[in-house]
Amino acid sequence: MLSYIVRRLAILPIILLGVTLLIFSMIMRLSPYERVSTFVKDPSQLKGGVAQLDELIEKHGLNDPWYMQYGRWLKGVFRGDLGWSESAGMPVTQALKERFAATAEITLFALIPVIVGGTFLGIFAAVHHNDIWDHITRVLAIIGWSFPTFVFGLIVLMIFYGVLGWFPPGRLDNWALSIVNSPEFTNYTGLYVIDSILNLNFRVLGNAIRHLVAPVLSIAILWWAYLMRITRSSMLETLGKDYIRTARSKGLKERTVIYKHVVKNALIPVITVSGQMLIGLMGGLVVTEAIFDIRGIGQFLAQSAQQLDYAGVLGGAIYFGFVLIIVNLIVDVSYALIDPRIRLE
Amino acid sequence: MKRLSLAVLVIALVFVVSGLVFADNNDTFVDIDMGNIDSLDPHFQYDSASAEIVANVYENLIQFKPGSLTEFEPLLATEVPTVENGLIKNGGKTYIFPIREGVQFHNGNELTPEDVKYSFLRALIQDRSGGPVWMLYEALFGVGTSLKSISSEVVRVDDPKELTPEQSAEVYAYLEKAIEIDGNNVIFHLAEPYPPFLSILARNNGVSAILDREWCIEVGDWDGQPTSIAKYYDPTKEADPLYYKMNGTGPYMLTEWVNGERTVLTAFENYWREPAKIKTVIIRSVDEWSTRKLYLQRGDADSVHVDAQYLSQVEGMPGVKVIKDLPRMANTVGIMNFNIVTEGNPDVHSGKLDGKGVPSDFFSDIHVRRAFSYAMPYDIFIKEAVQGRGQKARGPITAQLLGFDENSPVYEFNLEKAEEEFKKAFNGELWEKGFEITILYNTGNSERKNAVDMLKFFVEQINPKFKVNVRGVQWSTYLDNLVAGKFTIGFMGWGADYADPHNFVVPYMRSDGAFGGVKGENYVNWAKENVDPLINEGAVTVDPVRREEIYKELQNIAIEQALDIYLYQPEAHYVFRDNVKGFVYEPTLHPGLYFYDLYKE
Amino acid sequence: MEWREIVYKLFKNKISLVGLAIIIIMALVAIFAPWIAPPRNPAEPYYIPRAGWMSEPQPPSRDHIFGTTEGQYDIFYGIVWGTRTAFMIGFVVVGASTLIGIILGTISAYYGGWIDEIIMRITDIFMSIPFTIAAIVMTTILGRGITNMMIALITFNWMSTARLMRSQVLSVKGEEFVQAARALGASDLRIIFKHVILNTIFPVVVQASMNMGSIVITASTLSFLGIGTPEGYADWGQMISFARNWIIGGQGNALKYWFTVVIPGTAITLFCLSWNLIGDAFRDILDPKMQ
Repeated sequence: MLSYIVRRLAILPIILLGVTLLIFSMIMRLSPYERVSTFVKDPSQLKGGVAQLDELIEKHGLNDPWYMQYGRWLKGVFRGDLGWSESAGMPVTQALKERFAATAEITLFALIPVIVGGTFLGIFAAVHHNDIWDHITRVLAIIGWSFPTFVFGLIVLMIFYGVLGWFPPGRLDNWALSIVNSPEFTNYTGLYVIDSILNLNFRVLGNAIRHLVAPVLSIAILWWAYLMRITRSSMLETLGKDYIRTARSKGLKERTVIYKHVVKNALIPVITVSGQMLIGLMGGLVVTEAIFDIRGIGQFLAQSAQQLDYAGVLGGAIYFGFVLIIVNLIVDVSYALIDPRIRLE
Repeated sequence: MKRLSLAVLVIALVFVVSGLVFADNNDTFVDIDMGNIDSLDPHFQYDSASAEIVANVYENLIQFKPGSLTEFEPLLATEVPTVENGLIKNGGKTYIFPIREGVQFHNGNELTPEDVKYSFLRALIQDRSGGPVWMLYEALFGVGTSLKSISSEVVRVDDPKELTPEQSAEVYAYLEKAIEIDGNNVIFHLAEPYPPFLSILARNNGVSAILDREWCIEVGDWDGQPTSIAKYYDPTKEADPLYYKMNGTGPYMLTEWVNGERTVLTAFENYWREPAKIKTVIIRSVDEWSTRKLYLQRGDADSVHVDAQYLSQVEGMPGVKVIKDLPRMANTVGIMNFNIVTEGNPDVHSGKLDGKGVPSDFFSDIHVRRAFSYAMPYDIFIKEAVQGRGQKARGPITAQLLGFDENSPVYEFNLEKAEEEFKKAFNGELWEKGFEITILYNTGNSERKNAVDMLKFFVEQINPKFKVNVRGVQWSTYLDNLVAGKFTIGFMGWGADYADPHNFVVPYMRSDGAFGGVKGENYVNWAKENVDPLINEGAVTVDPVRREEIYKELQNIAIEQALDIYLYQPEAHYVFRDNVKGFVYEPTLHPGLYFYDLYKE
Repeated sequence: MEWREIVYKLFKNKISLVGLAIIIIMALVAIFAPWIAPPRNPAEPYYIPRAGWMSEPQPPSRDHIFGTTEGQYDIFYGIVWGTRTAFMIGFVVVGASTLIGIILGTISAYYGGWIDEIIMRITDIFMSIPFTIAAIVMTTILGRGITNMMIALITFNWMSTARLMRSQVLSVKGEEFVQAARALGASDLRIIFKHVILNTIFPVVVQASMNMGSIVITASTLSFLGIGTPEGYADWGQMISFARNWIIGGQGNALKYWFTVVIPGTAITLFCLSWNLIGDAFRDILDPKMQ
């Protein structure tokens, strides 16, 4: 297994090189004047006229051949410097670090309820195959799946914050933020939930959780639907297998059959989907972050791409590449753990 | 089961505790904005979000009298120079500022005249490309100057980054002549009289903010030496020490800054006036309108940014007050390209006057320009597209400024007159053959899209042979088209850098202006002959009566020649929770707030 | 299983029948759009006529039976012509990306070796680019427009099909009938088409039918990001993103602008739902293990 892991990791640099080259060459197809729009963000900043643009192009070397620009960036990367993100107004590494905490926190809290809830719904639907409950769950799932995220997000926000006032957007209330940013509070991880426990500050903990409920809920609606469908069909497939029939014919209780034999075997696709979900969550949720006022990876990536901030985009791609390979590794390893027949080669 | 219910109880308790309403704090003010801050360096920043922070942390020598754009009151200077008090001399070429004593910077250092001199020289040396320092150069050394031009004039080095220490010292000597210290006075020597000078120096214009010399050197900024211009000229943001650090004399200190997320300002207790009443200001950035709105509705924000088209959603919201109809020094104008580059340009279609496109010099014909000006439904635009939050523009110069006249001639929306003009254009050939044109707008801004859609709608009604297409493009593409001279009509906005009509006629009308300069050869030639001399005369005319005449004339020329489609002037509005008091509107800071004025009840 | 039999079963399955019925109705709406909602300007029927320039959406009225969105785009018109857009996006994007996926997946699995290695690494690279970034950068380069949006969607949508197809082909490659065909000296092309693809394509078809619905959702997210169809284009996704700033209501009435969300939302949901129902039914029919 170890050699498998090493081999997978060894491919990473090649993929990252490919990805960054691909993105870079796409951006380089634009003219220098298009790319200088990173620094002159809208018409109101066109103060100095065209002459100013030429100066900016010169200053940032946007006229150099592409290999020189890519080379400059690559050289920085080898020194551990991902460059300056104009769209975030800070170095890319700092931006990724700051944004990562928010993304990680959401991921942490969304993952478990979604996996548990989605799997449960899937089992429920499969057990009730073709009766009314099955149809209701399926139709609800499809509806959940077919509504754009931002619609759900905004509705959740309106109900739970606008009307009820329970779950505000943002990551913390202002009073809690000032505690977190005070010298007495140590930021170990940047994840407020974890930090507040480590600092034994339960007011902040409660506040951080309150702020997480609404975004997690709006993410969950989407993924529940997806996971439910995968679990359902995987369950149905397993239910039709010979050994289950044997188990049934042996007179085992239906409950035992389902929970002992079927669920375990139906779990493989659940892991696959959980892996996809983990990648999706860690890769940033542009829409959810925008609506719930969370400064996460997703907003950073979308913003840097929109403003053609290539350092930001490439930094994001590197980050994403790492997430992808690590999550895929975790998924592969858990396959092997669940089903000893699967060998990693 | 027991353990589970215990866990539930604990979680519930945590919620209750954290849910306790923490009494609305009258010391804290939460302002929710959108977008990033470009830089905290007062001489580097050139956008309204940064200007808001700078105006609250740094201070200038003078400030505008509340409600006025022509009268000043002292701030870090103890007197406002006038000809009468003898502090403006030499025919408007010498300005003397007595510097206030006993003023402290946030780090405890005392303000000295040396700090003032250092600040201006530092700005002049930094002169970053695309930055605001041209305002100081134009005032002190004359129109069109910059560190680049001075360096190439004085020592024949075109790029100040390549100045040797000796050459640097020579350039520095040239710059230093403009700013002199005399006891407790700082004296500016202008190359030419420059009436807008005081409004450039006034608060809200970061380019003339005063820094602490000692502190700047400490944090690694310009070392104050004449020989080191090359090192400090035109830094990138990341190389600028003042990008993320602030130390001014203003009522607030910067205590926390995460760009694009939040900025926290704390009242400076040793401020030379009364310390500010609001002790903590939190400025947050939330791009999603619905989220901002809910923050306001729940009272978690004291002030939020609201786009004009959504203002109706907050009017009448309980606990919220809307202050509106405030004049702004800004306008939106449809720039017409006199020489459209037709090569490889799909937006002119055939590129000829054959009914299937437009020729390159389409807008060089005054009748075409007039026809388009008549075909723009100004009132409908203001009423519907911006919900009445604006007034019709009367030329490049906006209300409140010299040369603006409520009764000056303008184009009314009149399709019959538009038809007449179209019939005259190209000796009637255009009317016979018709045309097809594409107008671009940059996406993400419904205002510009609306303006273009309206033009399309009405121009196509005039003659069935007229075809107008509308195409939305990303800002980067738009910019590229603009530079390449491929745009046909481009709706653009200009916001004042300082309160003077000069700042409006230059970009729109002068042959090298930000917009005038991209309108093609025909325009440039025409402008050089017909308006440039007048514009340049206006900049150096001291006599206010003559000045007003000049700007009125420019305003009239712009209309008479239909140089552009002068669409409208937006109005400002601010949205507060209703316990916020003390707001004073400052057009030069819009849409920012001067928190020193505010308090909560 | 014969195609005729599949179709027969598809029609026998009640759920899929519902899905089929909705799709057929929508297809009829798409076909008869010019009669149901006559365009103001026949030269550009996909652009929704504006009933003014106000930003505030107007509730359903006699002139605009579904009301208008922000910017006074007629919702009824947008829904009707948007049906065409939805089908077009669905068929073109899903069709093209499935085709690319099938070709690359088959080649990769059938030939194996370094060809497989190269194709799979390219697939990895494309999968390693966050979709939002890729879509934004591509539309910036190509320019905003429905064709360019579809190109962007296709470019970053073929990978999962390729992987699925590859694993399918791998599983039949060693089977007797393929070996036999090879032994008989059949050409690669013939073996691939006749024996390999036909025996492996069903899961891909199921996946494609599900994708038909979700691609419309993805397109609406692009509109949310400001890089979807041009503003004013009849596209459900864009119409619902017009509701973005009005969903939470105003002036004390949270449901004041319900029509801006509910109407286009229903259209998208029905479209998505029916393709999913059909896909589900397909799978149940094709997968004998589930009987």
